[in-house]
Amino acid sequence: MPLKPIKIYDHGPSPNPWKVVILLEELGLPYTREHVDFAVIKKEPFISVNPNGRVPAIEDPNTGLTLWESGAIVEYLVETYDKENKISFERGSADYFLAKQWLHFQVSGQGPYFGQAVWFTHQHPEKIESATKRYIKEIRRVSGVLDKFLQDKQYLVGEKFSYADLSFIPWYLIMDWFKIDLAKEFPKLNAWLERQHTRPTIATVIERRSKEPFE
Amino acid sequence: MSQPNITLYTTQTPNGIKISIALEELGLPYKVEKIDISKNTQKEDWFLEINPNGRIPALTDTFSDGQTIRLFESGSILQYLVERYDPDHKISYPAGTREYYETNNWLFFQNAGVGPMQGQANHFGRYAPERIEYGVNRYVNETRRLYRVLDDHLAKSKSGYLVGDRATIADISHWGWVAAAGWAGVDIEEFPNLKAWEERMAARPALEKGRHVPSPHTIKELLKDKAAVEKSAAQAREWVQAGMKADAKNKI
Repeated sequence: MPLKPIKIYDHGPSPNPWKVVILLEELGLPYTREHVDFAVIKKEPFISVNPNGRVPAIEDPNTGLTLWESGAIVEYLVETYDKENKISFERGSADYFLAKQWLHFQVSGQGPYFGQAVWFTHQHPEKIESATKRYIKEIRRVSGVLDKFLQDKQYLVGEKFSYADLSFIPWYLIMDWFKIDLAKEFPKLNAWLERQHTRPTIATVIERRSKEPFE
Repeated sequence: MSQPNITLYTTQTPNGIKISIALEELGLPYKVEKIDISKNTQKEDWFLEINPNGRIPALTDTFSDGQTIRLFESGSILQYLVERYDPDHKISYPAGTREYYETNNWLFFQNAGVGPMQGQANHFGRYAPERIEYGVNRYVNETRRLYRVLDDHLAKSKSGYLVGDRATIADISHWGWVAAAGWAGVDIEEFPNLKAWEERMAARPALEKGRHVPSPHTIKELLKDKAAVEKSAAQAREWVQAGMKADAKNKI
């Protein structure tokens, strides 16, 4: 029986939902996107989908599940729909756990701090020098960790492209906002991102995202 | 189930005690290697081999293939422990079930939301070299918003735990942070369901044992004594700032 489309709630070019979109495309899963306006994101009916009032969230009519943390969504999608481990690893293998580790690093180490950097550089009306510096510095620190780890590797886990790699892509699409030149400062990290960007699926998604209007 | 050969690299922090609490809940033997954050031990080469991100907790174990596995990120360590060592699902649910995915959802909520935001509230309220009122308010309020999500969710929970009928790694992941709410400038009295949950968790014998690793967990007592809080914050401020300078130099 063909799969029913998975509904993903998102918001224009906002980075976290794109992680899920890339994954859905890589797995060739049908989906529909529903834009959630920030004015109503913390109100009903959306908070019945996600009590935390954030995107992404998904509703999967094939299983009846609703999930709303991007990390948990990614794990759910690969465990449910990537049975052949195209972009994941055999359940219970060492690589299976290492991929989870890097996904956790992405959601707890990259996302929150890159997000705060966006706030202090582009959204907060008042310039707060020390807070801005704090989060830009953290972007560089996290990037340094990845760059060093990737010195002798093509991908993060098991020498193959996986969901762990792609989860880092969206936040790195806005580096010019911070005037950080990845190619110059973090060449291995940059090469790893470029390697992923050349995948036709990912190139298409990035192109699509670039046309989404900012509010 | 193969024999565990676990070493936990940790410090007395909300993230560190997640792992010792889970290990105690599962009744697993483990060695403890205390990492001295005040001396920046977590940035030494031998430790970066285990965790290139230079943070605690980290864990090593003999994997099923006989090789050593090195893991960092508290969330994935918790997932590892239950997947390998919780066949009876004492603090987890069987893979593929609704409760399994919902547990992961709340686990990620803690690791991507509560932890980082409450951590920023700690930074601006306790450790930052200068007082930035906006920074303090922003992160205290965001932490309160996240606590409100937890409080509302727990109000609807029949068991009093985050998912299903039992305490899971999602609850364990939150506990050390919620127990330290006052340190971040959040008043737990605002959140009666969360407060009751914190006490329910604290009454578990395994949690009581696990929270004192690698040294006594004293934050709840400390928060009752204003002068001691100030003194402790001054000390922490000193080594956090030293660590920040070292980070800037080493770029890790």
